[in-house]
Amino acid sequence: MLEQILCIDDDPITLMLCKKVISKSSFSKEIITAQNGEEALMHFNTLKYTNIKNKVNKKPELIFLDLNMPVMGGWEFLDHFTSPAYAEFNTANVIVLSSTIDPEDLAKAKKYPIIIDFLSKPVTLPMLEYLKKKIGI
Amino acid sequence: MKSKTLQITLVYVIISLIVAIICHKILTTYFSKIEYFYLFVIKDVLFILITGLIFRYILSKNEKKNISIFEKLKKTNEEIKESNEKYDIVAKATSDTIWDWKIQEDSINWNKGIESVFGYNPADVGNTSKWWFDKIHPEDSIRMSIKLYSFIEQKTEKWQDQYRFRCVDGSYKYVLDRGFLLKDENGRAIRMIGAIQDITKQKEEEQRLKLLETVITQSKDSILITEANSTDRKIPKIVYVNPAFSQMSGYLSHEIIGKSPNIFKGPKSDSEELKKLLRAIKNKEECLIETISYTKKKEEYWVRFSMIPIFNNEGSISHWISIQRDITDEKKLETEKEHLIRELTQNNKDLKQFSYITSHNLRAPLSNLIGLLNLIEDIPVEDPELQEILAGFTKSTHLLNETINDLVKVIIIKDNPSMQKEEVSLKEVFENVFSQLSFQIELHKPIIKLNFEKVPLLNTNKAYIESILLNLLTNSLKYKSENRKLKISITAEQIDHKAILTFKDNGIGIDLDRNRDKVFGLYQRFHNYPDSKGLGLYLVKSQVETMGGTITIESEVNKGTTFTITFKN
Repeated sequence: MLEQILCIDDDPITLMLCKKVISKSSFSKEIITAQNGEEALMHFNTLKYTNIKNKVNKKPELIFLDLNMPVMGGWEFLDHFTSPAYAEFNTANVIVLSSTIDPEDLAKAKKYPIIIDFLSKPVTLPMLEYLKKKIGI
Repeated sequence: MKSKTLQITLVYVIISLIVAIICHKILTTYFSKIEYFYLFVIKDVLFILITGLIFRYILSKNEKKNISIFEKLKKTNEEIKESNEKYDIVAKATSDTIWDWKIQEDSINWNKGIESVFGYNPADVGNTSKWWFDKIHPEDSIRMSIKLYSFIEQKTEKWQDQYRFRCVDGSYKYVLDRGFLLKDENGRAIRMIGAIQDITKQKEEEQRLKLLETVITQSKDSILITEANSTDRKIPKIVYVNPAFSQMSGYLSHEIIGKSPNIFKGPKSDSEELKKLLRAIKNKEECLIETISYTKKKEEYWVRFSMIPIFNNEGSISHWISIQRDITDEKKLETEKEHLIRELTQNNKDLKQFSYITSHNLRAPLSNLIGLLNLIEDIPVEDPELQEILAGFTKSTHLLNETINDLVKVIIIKDNPSMQKEEVSLKEVFENVFSQLSFQIELHKPIIKLNFEKVPLLNTNKAYIESILLNLLTNSLKYKSENRKLKISITAEQIDHKAILTFKDNGIGIDLDRNRDKVFGLYQRFHNYPDSKGLGLYLVKSQVETMGGTITIESEVNKGTTFTITFKN
């Protein structure tokens, strides 16, 4: 079981579903959420800042990322997140979880080594079982 | 001749002397008186000598006169002979047909040209002028005879005429006839002699040239001819322009001849194109350019301008021919077309983006609904009515999801004209398809015949060919006849560079008389089956066409259906 995962999605129902399904499947002990890329980056910034004083803060091991979000979308988030500024966090794997059907998005996802999978909503128990196998937990 | 005169004189003198001597002897015999004997002898001799001399003189004078007459005759004779020879040579050498017409008697003679040129046997040639006039083309004969008679009546000085003369085979030859009159002492025309020259070849050539000339004069394209070389690095000077050129450029022929075509150049002309043209002229190569030109009134027009070098027999350039076409409208159309294509491409891109966004926005809440329903499944529901409502809710949600997923497939197929192709084994494809349908196949146990030996490998997109065959096989299973065992036969053939896949079943079929246009349409259903959506064949056709193939259908109600799919292979 993972210690902590981060879900980034602008849709509160999707976030609610994620929380419920993930907690049911004992996939992760803790689920934190962000409503867009910027909010997620802010979270990492806070972690970075507080880590200096107190080094016991958890960092997410896996990120579920939506692509189409207001303020800052998935791609922009990834561009920031994979920069050296977030070097201590970007060892986490990213799974794109989206409703997109645009082939360009799929092609683009292949260019980011950090993205380990591209899955279609909704999050389901079989999907989590599949992921468990894939990342070996 | 002289010696003969002398001879005659000598013979006369000798004979006279002998006679004189004999007379003297007789006289001396019969008369004895001889006192004047010698005197008589001397007198006789003298007489003879004197008459002999006179005789000789007369003879020799006569002789001289005769000689001069004879010389004259001889000379005349020779002249006549030479002249005859000359005539013979000319008559043989000339290709003209010569005629000699005695006007009063109306008798006409022809030389052998009438046979060699026009083919008439001399025996068949008439000897009156009527025969001649009959052979003249009806369209020319009146004009010709008016001219001829006005010449005979000496109203005109010269006579020569062109007309068509009929040959023995009925064809006509163009001839040039020239003649002169012989008059008697009263000035009346008594004879006319003429020579007919066959000018058919010249005439034909003339007509051919005239015809060729119309190409230039009647052409809608401007044509101009320039000198071979130019000074001062310009296009060589113009020597000819056709009427279309004046029409196009506004310059009249006399205004432009002697000038260089450079004067059509203006501010918007393409100087690169003009440089290209000048380079070609320098290298003596033909050249085609497109540029904006200017008319006399400085109006601009697009012109396609070619320069073609004309070489003479020595291989050096004698002229340049330039053909020019006003392509203003063409250019305008081209620009419009480009604009339209740009606009359409943009529209298409926008629409595609729109469909992606729409489908995303539909799928996002729908996936939430499905997720929520998945959660409900684990919560026990006691109320039977609520249970029923939730069941309906679940069913509708999944149906909506399927529909949207199908539509998404269509959008992706339509957007993917250049998908990946690979060598696919048809046998493997079928194994995959059968395994996906193993449940139905087990249930209905159809008889399936497969024959792929002729096309073991197909260069195609694996996912698409699988989807196509899955859809067709599902249809066959779904629309099988209840009255007979389902038989499906699938064969592949290779003809030239085409692979032909035939997919045949003995199911319930489709009434093509009513539905041919709709068979492959979106959301077209022909049987009221609960799980039929009217999407399968639409997807099949889209996928076949995306891979550059074609699909046709033959079907008969209650007999079965055959699909023929053709791919380039």
